[in-house]
Amino acid sequence: MATADKVLVYDRIKGVKQIPLEEFYTSGHRTCQGCESATVMRQFIKAAGPRTVVAGSTGCMYVANTSYMTTPWIVPWMHTQLGAGGSSAVGMAAGLRALMRKNRIPQEKINVISFCGDLGGGDMGLSGISGALQTDYDLLIIMYDNESAANTDIQATGLTTWGAQTTFSPVGKVERIMHRRWKKNVAAMLAVGHPNCRYVATACATYPPVDFLNKVRKALSIGGPTFIHTYDPCPKGWDFHPRYSHELGELGVRSGLLPLYEIIDGQVVYTYDARKTGKGRIPVREYLTKQGRFAHLTEEDIAYIQRMVDEMWDEWEVPGVAPFRGTLKVSA
Amino acid sequence: MIKRVEINYRGIFQKNLAKKIGGDIVMIAARMGQVGFSNGRYSDAPERNGIPCKYFAFVSPDLSEEELEAECGAKLDIDEANISVVLDDTMVKGVEPWAWHGVRPINEKVVPYGHMLIVSRRRPEELVRFMARKPYPYYLALLEGDASFAGLWVYRDDLTHERVLGAIAALDPQLLSIEAVKGYLWDKTHEEHRVEAAQKAFESVRHNIHEVTPLQGIDWPYEIPKLPKWHEFSEGVVVKAVPREFHLGPKGQSRNQLFKRGTTKSQRPVVRFDLCTKCTLCWLECPDQCFDPTPDGYYDIDYEYCVGCGKCAEVCPVQECIVMVDELAFEDNRSPWEHWKRDPEGYVRWAEEKKGKHRVLPNVVTGTGERVVEVEPVPVGGKPKPAARAGA
Repeated sequence: MATADKVLVYDRIKGVKQIPLEEFYTSGHRTCQGCESATVMRQFIKAAGPRTVVAGSTGCMYVANTSYMTTPWIVPWMHTQLGAGGSSAVGMAAGLRALMRKNRIPQEKINVISFCGDLGGGDMGLSGISGALQTDYDLLIIMYDNESAANTDIQATGLTTWGAQTTFSPVGKVERIMHRRWKKNVAAMLAVGHPNCRYVATACATYPPVDFLNKVRKALSIGGPTFIHTYDPCPKGWDFHPRYSHELGELGVRSGLLPLYEIIDGQVVYTYDARKTGKGRIPVREYLTKQGRFAHLTEEDIAYIQRMVDEMWDEWEVPGVAPFRGTLKVSA
Repeated sequence: MIKRVEINYRGIFQKNLAKKIGGDIVMIAARMGQVGFSNGRYSDAPERNGIPCKYFAFVSPDLSEEELEAECGAKLDIDEANISVVLDDTMVKGVEPWAWHGVRPINEKVVPYGHMLIVSRRRPEELVRFMARKPYPYYLALLEGDASFAGLWVYRDDLTHERVLGAIAALDPQLLSIEAVKGYLWDKTHEEHRVEAAQKAFESVRHNIHEVTPLQGIDWPYEIPKLPKWHEFSEGVVVKAVPREFHLGPKGQSRNQLFKRGTTKSQRPVVRFDLCTKCTLCWLECPDQCFDPTPDGYYDIDYEYCVGCGKCAEVCPVQECIVMVDELAFEDNRSPWEHWKRDPEGYVRWAEEKKGKHRVLPNVVTGTGERVVEVEPVPVGGKPKPAARAGA
């Protein structure tokens, strides 16, 4: 796995006391109580600093953050189309490069960040993101993943966990489980397919503390197109009390269901190593039973999810990241 | 003639409940030979947890369905309400569902001699002291109970739905008669306890109606913003960013002045600064950026922006340092840190008095109940103890 031959130089935040105090995404947005995606917005811009331009695809973090011609953003922010997370980032980066080349604006480092939700990034905008990761522009795409189209009151997406109740997968008397797709593995998919992209990571905004801020700094320092996938517990769609949004993220990570890792120049670095040889993992039950969207699951369902998670960490070629398994013997 | 009922509720938490009540008013009115129509307020969607929302039911004894729908269907909000139901009593402090709306009085739409029906365990004067003075008299009816909160998927069947229908019958028998309410509930569920709950609420609310005179209430302290005209917008769809400004101390961070959203909360965090270890977690984890770092390393709270999610109280590692307290216990949004600096002992006394001795810890899945524990207050100079984590 990670070796010490390459060193990534970046301005590391060593602890909570070193986090910049000033906000660039401030109060006065129409998000839910206990919104973790709002925490993602706040922290990525804290890590990036004021010399940043941000684009946001349609989704919760666009609609909730533009309540009737007002904004909580202090840095320049632009709304873009649902599937345009990647192309808007390329456009902004290309525009800045051209303006600097023509000396229309001073030469300086301006961070380009584009964020999209799990529907906008993982399903609809995937081709645009793939295109952006093949360029040589310095840009960061952040996919905030609350496992549903949460803005329009919780429709299932490709990143919804197996078995979850959504308005697209209501629990019925005949069919208990209506959502039978396994969560799409977007970060690893992008890392595997885009050799230009030197940095891909998954993160949880508040667990472990400071980790997400440093991942943003690494992504912005390494150069070229980069991608971060964040897991955001959503009190509205996952149906838990807003008070516990930190807990749910922590439980998801520690149960191994939400793997945290970085892929830096093709090397995998675990942020939370949920293998038995690493930090180990708690039963997924701890995480599932604390959410109303899984209230209908039976013991059998929970055991199935546990089996899938165990397989992911114990049997995959790159545990928690890439689902390849040994060599398949094919008879002639 | 049209009778208008509005149901004020907390977004998501009471969405299913309000919808059930609104829909059932129409169904019951239909049993009485009337025409009804119900819908939600358009601009509330997409709904967010805790934000004040409205659901409407319109009933007419003489209009046709088409006429009623034409009259009531396409409006953003109603101009007047014959009955205004409030499903969470903390909304009497005002409601601000979106930007450019302003914090408005909960009784804004009530007509002369109309009714406010509030689900609450408080006395009428404890609620009226937060409500705006009206130029005419109206009635305040109280349905005794706690605000029924649930999530999107797990409905909390605590009979609030049936009780509100019974209570409405007590306020206006022409709109809904108690016989029709009971008949409807029986036909729908064949469950005796639901019919009984409506009947009991009907009886108790009949004796819990209070006239509010034009002398009662307060002069509304919040300005209602004037919407900009189309020609006042800048070219394209451009919104001015919040100006960059930061210094240590209360309100040191610049914030969106056009949407303060503090009316989202039904509880607020109360901080014992003397127990604080300056760990930064409340500030770092707050999704609404309402903690202001102070020059001496503490974190002040801007209650105008706090939405009362309770995350700070949950992540705080010190026992009894941050505690969530019912929003109706507070009169203003002044800075708690300044209060503490001015009068350290007085502040702690005040905080402990507000906190009381009982702590309500909600279960993790919304609306599935809570634990109530009794605690001994930590004295001034008491040693900070580590807090127990409820979730992880």
